[in-house]
Amino acid sequence: MRASRIAKESARALAANKLRSFFMMAGTIVGIAALTVIMAIGKGTEKKVMKRVNAFGTHAIVVTAGGGKGFSPPQEGITTLRLEDADEVTTQIRGVDVVAPFAIRRGVPVKAGNNQVQTIVMAVGPEWHDASEWYAADGDLVSTEDIASMARVCLLGKLIAKDLFGEQNPIGEYIQIENVRFKVKGILQERGVSPMGDEFDRRLVIPLSTGLRRLFNQDYISNIRVKVKNSDQIAAIADEIRQLLHERHHIVPPKEDDFSVFSAADIAKMARGVSGTLTWLLGSLAALSLLVGGIVLMNILLISVGERVKEIGLRRAVGATQRDIFLQFLTESLAVTFSGMLLGGMLGWSVSIVLARVAEFPVVISWEPFALALGFAVAVGLFFGVQPARRAARLKPVDALR
Amino acid sequence: MIEMENIQKEYVSGSVKTQVLKGVSFRVQAGEFVAIMGASGTGKSTLMNILGLLDKPTGGHYRLDGKDVVDLDDDALSHLRNHKIGFVFQQFHLLARTTALRNVMLPLIYADEYPNDALERAEKALMSVGLSDRMDYRPSQLSGGEQQRVAIARALITNPAIILADEPTGNLDSKSGAGVISVFQRLHREGRTIILITHDKVVAEHANRIVVLSDGAVVEDRSVAQPRNAATETPTLTGKESGQ
Repeated sequence: MRASRIAKESARALAANKLRSFFMMAGTIVGIAALTVIMAIGKGTEKKVMKRVNAFGTHAIVVTAGGGKGFSPPQEGITTLRLEDADEVTTQIRGVDVVAPFAIRRGVPVKAGNNQVQTIVMAVGPEWHDASEWYAADGDLVSTEDIASMARVCLLGKLIAKDLFGEQNPIGEYIQIENVRFKVKGILQERGVSPMGDEFDRRLVIPLSTGLRRLFNQDYISNIRVKVKNSDQIAAIADEIRQLLHERHHIVPPKEDDFSVFSAADIAKMARGVSGTLTWLLGSLAALSLLVGGIVLMNILLISVGERVKEIGLRRAVGATQRDIFLQFLTESLAVTFSGMLLGGMLGWSVSIVLARVAEFPVVISWEPFALALGFAVAVGLFFGVQPARRAARLKPVDALR
Repeated sequence: MIEMENIQKEYVSGSVKTQVLKGVSFRVQAGEFVAIMGASGTGKSTLMNILGLLDKPTGGHYRLDGKDVVDLDDDALSHLRNHKIGFVFQQFHLLARTTALRNVMLPLIYADEYPNDALERAEKALMSVGLSDRMDYRPSQLSGGEQQRVAIARALITNPAIILADEPTGNLDSKSGAGVISVFQRLHREGRTIILITHDKVVAEHANRIVVLSDGAVVEDRSVAQPRNAATETPTLTGKESGQ
């Protein structure tokens, strides 16, 4: 009871000096706001990264014909990536689960009845389904027999199936790919958007041998998709593949690579982009504001103790114990950082929402930053409040009243 | 009620010792109105601080209500100050930006038990000093005399055994000073024990007994046969008060 009466005295003292109270909490507000934004961005980024990595395949490494820094479509006219490269990866590299070479073409005209679209055609082997963990929702997968017989069969993505056939079941129907007739043998599972930004569900899959010999008339491939056994080794395996292909393609610096290798780890790094730097910057800002804010808080409290010596003396004269005075000033400090936390949390929350809306930054709002902020606020309030409170409590009443 | 026996107070500054009180002895009975008088530098304030348990003597005995208080610890002294002593200071010492009512209630915050009727008690105390129409005023909105009467109400709120007033009229003009003294005289008639510390002979003559302090010792202790009556000195102020 006595403690709650003293807490009320603290609240009255803060309310009576609104400007001073605001200055005391400014640092906490900025620090907690930054902290809230960081955590919202951090969580949002991780969500985006996980989405990208999942879309790419958590255990996937993709070799692409043609050099270049980013994860990009295979370059047209690069003919050096071969099926033999894929075979060598299978036999030479340890820790590899599935190796799936494939060829990809963009803007291929596809027709069914009166409906015509242009789309991405992938020529794949049966192992590709396992390598990319992408199977049929309906119908059959690309089979070994399809490869052996160069069968003119295909699987359609959900969306292209709708584009070509509407609500009709396409399985068993025929389509024209570049004027070659293909029988639809299956519908692929829904997969969403690719890391390149196109719709996976508008792609079309045919057997690799059919694609290379009957449709594209080429003896090179555009990609090798590798699934590793253990995702922890993914970066090391990607390096080994790079080395292997350097040897096989006789590439010695300064000659530029005619292929590129991307792993799930690289995709995660790309997806994180600047958010790592941003988090680091905001983190420093949060730490600095909380530290500087705490020091400012302590100084204002010390000044306030100096200004309120008479008040302290009076309180002592009318019966306040040292502990009462200590509690009053410590409570003032804690109340300041706690209010600062609430205001800072709200500010950070608003900034996060604005960032999400305006800058389309990936932002996830959750309870964790508020719990962390509460912890920080209490820590700052206690740490920087104890010294002034102790000084106030130790004043001798007879000196304080003079 | 108060027994002071050979009270000494010595300040040490470096190698210089200054004896401010050189063995002060006197008693105050319950219901007395005593003025402790002396010129500045005679140890009045030091004596007041010791009487008010704000400071400790370096020698002697001080019994308050029969209990020796010289060796009590800080918490026990705070506790005694809270419920035995009501202070009235020269500089009023009201909390700024705080209403008269809140100022009066302040000592109750530090009481062992917060009374349920705290607000009514504060209102009653303010009424008894003639400030029933100033309860929600802040110190800056009150005159000096009014501020000192708020301080008296604050001193009364815990119903203390003694009211200790240190130069209560020192910062007031004579009219408001007389108003404040008349409040003390009325409290005395109501049975309160009051110790008034002053350098002013005229102010002291409103008490029923005068203890004169000189150079750290009691040089005179006499009763006043016919104390001055503050109420008749300031018809305007008292008229206002009796009108309440």
